[in-house]
Amino acid sequence: MKNDKLKRNELPTFAPDCFPSGALVTDPSRIITYVNAYFTTELLWQSGELIGKSADILFTQSSRIFFQSYLIPTLLHEKVCEEMQLIIFNAQGQRIPITVNASISKDGCIYWSFFNASKRDQLYEELIKTREELEEQAEQLKSLASTDELTSLLNRREMKYRSTLVLEQAARSRQSIALLILDIDHFKKINDTFGHLEGDNVLKQLGQLLKAFGRQTDLISRFGGEEFLLMLPDTSKSDTLLFCQRLHKLIKQIKVGDSALKASIGVSISTDKVSFTDLFSQADNALYKAKTLGRNRTEVYVKN
Amino acid sequence: MLNANEILNRNNVKLIGKGSKTLFLAHGFGCDQNMWRFLTPELAKNFTIVLFDYVGSGSSDISQYSKKRYGQLEGYAEDIIEICEALQLTDAVFIGHSVSSIIGAIAAIEKPKLFSKLIMICPSPCFLNFPPEYLGGFDKEDLQELLNLMDKNYIGWANYLAPLVMGTTSSDELIGELSGSFCSTDPVIAKNFAAATFLSDYRYLLKEIKQPTLIFQSQNDALAATSVGEFIASEIMSSELNVIAADGHCLHMTHPEALMNSIIAYAKKSS
Repeated sequence: MKNDKLKRNELPTFAPDCFPSGALVTDPSRIITYVNAYFTTELLWQSGELIGKSADILFTQSSRIFFQSYLIPTLLHEKVCEEMQLIIFNAQGQRIPITVNASISKDGCIYWSFFNASKRDQLYEELIKTREELEEQAEQLKSLASTDELTSLLNRREMKYRSTLVLEQAARSRQSIALLILDIDHFKKINDTFGHLEGDNVLKQLGQLLKAFGRQTDLISRFGGEEFLLMLPDTSKSDTLLFCQRLHKLIKQIKVGDSALKASIGVSISTDKVSFTDLFSQADNALYKAKTLGRNRTEVYVKN
Repeated sequence: MLNANEILNRNNVKLIGKGSKTLFLAHGFGCDQNMWRFLTPELAKNFTIVLFDYVGSGSSDISQYSKKRYGQLEGYAEDIIEICEALQLTDAVFIGHSVSSIIGAIAAIEKPKLFSKLIMICPSPCFLNFPPEYLGGFDKEDLQELLNLMDKNYIGWANYLAPLVMGTTSSDELIGELSGSFCSTDPVIAKNFAAATFLSDYRYLLKEIKQPTLIFQSQNDALAATSVGEFIASEIMSSELNVIAADGHCLHMTHPEALMNSIIAYAKKSS
């Protein structure tokens, strides 16, 4: 065995520094006091060129910010900082991603070791890109799953979900809340006379009108077919009726052939804790009444 | 759509002090309401003080974070408006640090009745360089690389910008004490706030500020040069610029005594 041949106090002789990683020492003023051979062999600096210069010469501006704002405080607190991803310049000004470990000695000198991390950096780039793509896709899917394709209003599922939340909140703050079911009068006739394309067009126009007319806090949805559901938080009975009056007028602006569009509205108002299903069925009763009484009108649910 | 209590809870709103005049204190990037602790004991003797954390900072309700809302400073300004409305506040004096000065300006322009005066500590309306007419301090590539490194290092803004904001001549003890007290936050939120802060350009907004504004600028600040302070002062109709002989970007933490009397006098002065 070779080791057996070594005398107890004799150190083996190594070739001059051949470590495939960088080693650097800076003093408390960030002045470079030592660099290993890696700086000349791999980073192409001249021997001795860096000694006595500020470490700032090695780092990109963003890495200097990290150096000052993260590495130093971490070293002051933990004495050691591991696995930081930074970017340094070689002598030719090329940016090289590195992974850094650093520790601070009692006299405030910082001992740095680092590896070239070009491949790992590529992996990070891909991971970040993938995360951003996934976030974007999730956002799109969420929007698709909650929106009615034709009118861009909330769809039935999202309306039910959000209404429940709003109802819970209204109950907590004891606010009056109104639920409106709006049903286009004789919509089947529009489809039969003018075709489904025109029918869709009417639904779209009404959707836009409702969106423009509603407040930011109102929930507005296409609940199915020619039925639209609106929830108006913090709205009294008289304000709701005023809202409906204006709505009837506005809807008439939409023309189908020579006639104006008309709709029936059923309203339910709650001041107490109520479930969405109950409030909906009350508004549905009122809508039925509005239709029986000749359509193109608003009826408010009254408890028998 | 939250009610008043939910808003106060979301932003961890705290009310301290006594006084007919109210000061609304808004922390900057990388911090939370604790950063005001060197000023609040004295200010609380003279004023009612509103403290809060932006969503994603300090002890705010992180579940309320929305990338869409907080992807721009306007989202943070909405927080401020909602807090004021929840507290039924009008005519308060807004004090913002760094990016919060601009967030406060957005709120003050949108709802002029909320604030009667603005006090900006080390503000910058734009960190980007647009040579030759404006030098915010950074080239776009450098800021993008900074955001990219934030992503790759996946560290919250715990100690971010601490010594940088304090200036390099601050003592190690002070750096240690202050950086250790900075809050830690979700890395992705930190990065999004940084992007909203560093890549924005709100220079156009300054001319729309109608409230009298006091600007504190540090003589040597790596994030906002004195020329940035001069630019802001020249754009705002009724402004005073007060350059403090100090290093760093956190004057309210490193030099609270230098700001205290001016803040008290400015807030009390009838406008």
